[in-house]
Amino acid sequence: MIKQQPKITAPREINVNCADTLTAQNGVKLHKIDCTEDEVMRMSFVFKAGTRMQTKAFTASTTANLLSEGTKDFTAHELAEKLDFYGSYFDVSLDRDYVVITFCSLTKFFSQTLEVARQMLLYPTFPQGELETYCSKRQQRLLVEQSKTSFQARTLFSEALFGKEHPYGISFDASEYLNITRDDITTIYDTLYIAENCFAVCSGNISDEIESNILNLCGDIPNGKTKVHIEFPTPHTTPTVFKQHDGAVQSAIRIGTLLFPRSHPDFIAMQMLSTILGGYFGSRLVHNLREERGYTYGIFSGVVNLDYDGYLAIATEVSSESTKDAITQIYHEMNRLIVEKVSEEELEMVKNILVGEVMRILDASFGIADVTIENIQNGSDNNYLNKMLDEVFTITPERIQEVAVKHLDPNKFTTTVVGSVNPF
Amino acid sequence: MIDYKIKTLGNGLTVVVHQEKSSQMAAVNMLYRVGARNENPEHTGFAHLFEHLMFKGTAQIPNFDTPVQMASGENNAFTNNDYTDYYITLPKENIETALWLESDRMTGLNITPEGLEMEKRVVIEEYNQRYINQPYGEQWLCLRDMAYKVHPYRWATIGLSTDHISNATMDQVDEFYKKFYTPNNAILSIAAAYEPEYMFELAEKWFGDIPSMESEKQNIPEEPEQTESRRMELTQKVPANSVTIAFKMAGRDSINYYVSDMISDLLSSGSSARLYQSLVKEQKVLSAVNAYITGDVDPGLFVVTGQVNPGFTIEEAEQALWREITRLQTEEVGEYELEKVKNKFEANVIFGELNVMNKAMNLGFYTMLNDLPLINKEVDIYRSITKEQITLCAQDLFRKEISSTLIYNIEK
Repeated sequence: MIKQQPKITAPREINVNCADTLTAQNGVKLHKIDCTEDEVMRMSFVFKAGTRMQTKAFTASTTANLLSEGTKDFTAHELAEKLDFYGSYFDVSLDRDYVVITFCSLTKFFSQTLEVARQMLLYPTFPQGELETYCSKRQQRLLVEQSKTSFQARTLFSEALFGKEHPYGISFDASEYLNITRDDITTIYDTLYIAENCFAVCSGNISDEIESNILNLCGDIPNGKTKVHIEFPTPHTTPTVFKQHDGAVQSAIRIGTLLFPRSHPDFIAMQMLSTILGGYFGSRLVHNLREERGYTYGIFSGVVNLDYDGYLAIATEVSSESTKDAITQIYHEMNRLIVEKVSEEELEMVKNILVGEVMRILDASFGIADVTIENIQNGSDNNYLNKMLDEVFTITPERIQEVAVKHLDPNKFTTTVVGSVNPF
Repeated sequence: MIDYKIKTLGNGLTVVVHQEKSSQMAAVNMLYRVGARNENPEHTGFAHLFEHLMFKGTAQIPNFDTPVQMASGENNAFTNNDYTDYYITLPKENIETALWLESDRMTGLNITPEGLEMEKRVVIEEYNQRYINQPYGEQWLCLRDMAYKVHPYRWATIGLSTDHISNATMDQVDEFYKKFYTPNNAILSIAAAYEPEYMFELAEKWFGDIPSMESEKQNIPEEPEQTESRRMELTQKVPANSVTIAFKMAGRDSINYYVSDMISDLLSSGSSARLYQSLVKEQKVLSAVNAYITGDVDPGLFVVTGQVNPGFTIEEAEQALWREITRLQTEEVGEYELEKVKNKFEANVIFGELNVMNKAMNLGFYTMLNDLPLINKEVDIYRSITKEQITLCAQDLFRKEISSTLIYNIEK
């Protein structure tokens, strides 16, 4: 019953829905993505208020998370009720650079959700009692996370990559939650949650009325004066870090090197290189460490893009006894990219994978909103996707090798391991 | 609302299709009616190990992933206690690549002894990563073991021990494949922009000639009624003491399944819900709390779990949890709160239907339940639930004698 393989169509053109941009009276830009068939709406407010902007441990995340814990007109409980009653969602995500505050709801309940958003963004009161409850809860949660080898490895990896004092490398002890004061939080709110520091992205079936309501909210975000100055020392990478974790049956390994932000001319080529190395299920690292050797359930490599820097990261959990060889194999696979050209066939596959990923993200409005946020954070717009795909489609094996030689110098890497056996 | 059309091919393969006009992607989902429940108690973890083997290639297609990736697709699979699910999304022009791959591995799986050995190692590392090398990692292994004595839900899909995985043989692989991976034991569901008739034609083209197999109805032993509370205490290097209580609940075909689900929403869906407001924010006994149902086809578990804040004892936390859940047995739920969880359920259903993959997967799931129309009826079922039903269900559900409690103590 052998059946002929169907012909494969490799998509080479993609329709990217570009956002319409409106500007509120205070300068805040609202990027609007119309998806008229959607029954749901989503609205995200992005502030440059990530952890690198804080001068004291955990204050960036605490400020963002306390927006929902009490406002001028409502208590934390009332705000939660107002969202839950309409089945709406409120989510805060925070990275080193940005805070993204997202509200999602059924289109028919969007006005009610917008009311809550207005309260949280413009009139948070940061009640002392809520601050204390939050801090003790988060301290507990962090202790749970810190007991996981994978979490420890991630933290140590950032430290090893950038240096312990660097805003992109620093981490804190859970006990620091005890030192946060209400003043710390209001200072962050007053200086960073301002119009100059914000943009908004909205997607769904947006009526004129809703559009003007959202724009009004954007326009009411206060303008600010103070510019926060954060020291950005030169990163310093430590070659090897090991942390003993007695009783661990697996070692958590993180390997990586500093790169550059997305605007760098080698960025897309490095993204492709990282995909070849460990960015998909049939990638070289998965093949070597999982399929050939059975060391791990999974291994992944990716390029991370930050406002002022970027890095390549390889992450895996391997059986303790294979730790040493797993590291050898990872470096071996990187070296192969330096010494051998990737075949046209493998490169073709990675091109197809990447275009598939983009298509999947763009197939739903929430995905388009995410992409839009990322593009604006990087100072561009959704046309970036076309530019990126152009480069992806035309890249050559020579170019991949060129960036491998340039950026995969093992002397510039860090290898971080948490487990029961020291491989170094 | 999901529109669908359903058809059974001559060989017994059930095909369900949904036309999603606006999508550039096609989602192809293949569900086999086999899960950990169908395993031999001496060889647990096998259904899941077998799911891994389904990616190890056939005589015709030595590497399953390569054509998927060449077709700009993405694929994966999961196994639970009731069924095994394989799914692919790809640009709609490549839909036949997905059908070709699924039809090929329904008949031509080609596992070598070396391939089996390697995959056992991978699955053992999965076991280590998920269940051993995590704080509270073996919680579910313990809970199932406590709550079930007879029914195969007493083991997790990963299996009772890594020994069961390492002891798997090639003969078992062959037998399992022949028994369960047949068209008459499978459900193909597709969501894509094509006309339903065309999708049925494609299903016929790729699967129509696969012979059906004799299937014997497997008798799953029924779990006897639990009559006394069960308890297990572990002392481990965990970051916080924790309390988890699991109650036996109704199966998927009972109205009380929905009422129990609604009770879990009253208790812990969203930060306005009862457990979070009362135990985390007001009393501060717990730092995290959750209530949920396992969602199994046969009678499953209703789970209440919390991490105890320093300064409170495990006994205090346990009492606080019991106080909160038993309130539902005596105090009627208010109109507002009832409306809230119903709204939230409806929103969740809509949020859960946002892309073609979720739709194809849901179609497969409800077909597996033998009640496909239910896919569009659940919101109405929730809407119809009354306060009285909630009180009665809570009285039936939160009884000590059908509970199993798992405690983690911090090792000093």
